[in-house]
Amino acid sequence: MALTADQLDALSEIFNVGAGRAASSLSDIVGDEVLLSVPQVEFYRANEVNAKVLSLSSARLGSVKQQFNGPFNITASLVFTEERALEIVQEMLGSQVEMADLVEYEQEAMCEVGNIILNASLSAMADMLGITFDSTLPEYSSDAPDVVIGRIVADTNNPMLLILHMNMIIEKRRSQGTLIFWLSSSSLNLLILHIDQFLARI
Amino acid sequence: MQLDKLCTNSTWSTVFDAVGFGLVLVDADAHVVLWNGWMTRHSGTSAQSALGRPLTDVFGAAGQSASFTAALRNALRYKLPVVLSNVLHRCPLPLYAQLPASESAERMPHAVTLTPLTVAPWGACCLIQVNDSSLSISREKILQKNSDRLSREVMTDGLTRAFSRGFFDQFYQQEFARARRQSSKLSLIMVDVDFFKNYNDEYGHPAGDKVLIAVVQAMQEVLLRATDKLFRYGGEEFAVILPDCDQHKAMAIAEQLRLAVMALKLAHGKSETSSHLTISLGVSTLTSGQSCCAKTQLEASDNALYLAKKQGRNRVQYCNPESALETASA
Repeated sequence: MALTADQLDALSEIFNVGAGRAASSLSDIVGDEVLLSVPQVEFYRANEVNAKVLSLSSARLGSVKQQFNGPFNITASLVFTEERALEIVQEMLGSQVEMADLVEYEQEAMCEVGNIILNASLSAMADMLGITFDSTLPEYSSDAPDVVIGRIVADTNNPMLLILHMNMIIEKRRSQGTLIFWLSSSSLNLLILHIDQFLARI
Repeated sequence: MQLDKLCTNSTWSTVFDAVGFGLVLVDADAHVVLWNGWMTRHSGTSAQSALGRPLTDVFGAAGQSASFTAALRNALRYKLPVVLSNVLHRCPLPLYAQLPASESAERMPHAVTLTPLTVAPWGACCLIQVNDSSLSISREKILQKNSDRLSREVMTDGLTRAFSRGFFDQFYQQEFARARRQSSKLSLIMVDVDFFKNYNDEYGHPAGDKVLIAVVQAMQEVLLRATDKLFRYGGEEFAVILPDCDQHKAMAIAEQLRLAVMALKLAHGKSETSSHLTISLGVSTLTSGQSCCAKTQLEASDNALYLAKKQGRNRVQYCNPESALETASA
């Protein structure tokens, strides 16, 4: 599936608006400036993807998943690697727990951070494309990278993956999370259709 | 099912009131349309007085946190579910474990889930579920306290309250690595109580325990820097780690330690050195540019201690870590 440069730009803009909203919610919670940005958007077929391709090398990954339904359906996960994202969560919480246990121990907080970022991304998309979604509650899980990615790519109903690497900065500490949206070919076609309508309006 | 019948339908209101967590349904303008018994019990507001009113009125101006207000607004606007964890928000709503609550009473910690729903006849609504988190928080506090106590115990020698041998092994490796990395100096003093076996034989083990405690207290008073640590290495042997401390200063501190123990004037009738209890000390200092390992420096301090004992005890001796290397290979 090849997208035009304009279509990719539009998607990138949507997700940066979403990142801005998420950053402002997170800043309110942390009481300190949080910066989020999405430098690039990539498309993959499920069979092209593994933990290495997504540069998610870590002993364990935490992931927060929500299923969004609307004019088209998207399953979305925010994936945190232990090393990079957890430092930030630890800083936010002032947690005493060892880094290695944090993915398990701070599930509730991780779930909330994921929920904020996923809702912000999809509500930005809904606003800009003039559509609405509903969603399931966020579900948290943590596992080895291959297991997490395996579960995502095993969803044969949704063979297309849209990958965003998100940079997060809290109190000058830089961290990274990866957003994975996976959708069926027909949902992807509808997404592109809505993007084209959006591009035609501006 | 028609939800407009909910509040009057006694079957469903009985069920909602029996539920063990807070359940509130608000319409698109955040007016309350359902308020269960749990909410009444923990907010002090009855269903009759809550129904039909804006939620912010029900909780009062300072009642609900700004983050809750924003989350509810987002949930109603975007129709997306929102979770507010207890960890990040503590107590977003004015709810109490016991009512009436005294002025000093703290709020009950809780977590909130907001689920947008479309319910006839109100249309877009939001279901607010509130879960009491106090049980898991108190359990977490107890576990944290126990884990703090256990790590303190593992670090400390039960008799003398000096740091433990286990902690020495870890701390010494860590400080040695740091000194090598930063090219800083590291001094290590090994201490032995002179003729301690004779003391035990003469005065008994309980008295022996008491002098070890006294010796540790006397030595602790000499070590003023927080980074200088005293360890019970085993039996009547102690170790002192002095980070960022050169040979000259380490020798001076060792001499002060020796004098501090002498000043205790603990009678020792079976000492062949003095009429009072004394200690022997062996010092070594790692300086930048030396290429020895942690084990070699430990051997150097041990060699110095051996020398101090051989020369008649109650004294301080120094051994260079690099010469310990030669002694070892000799």
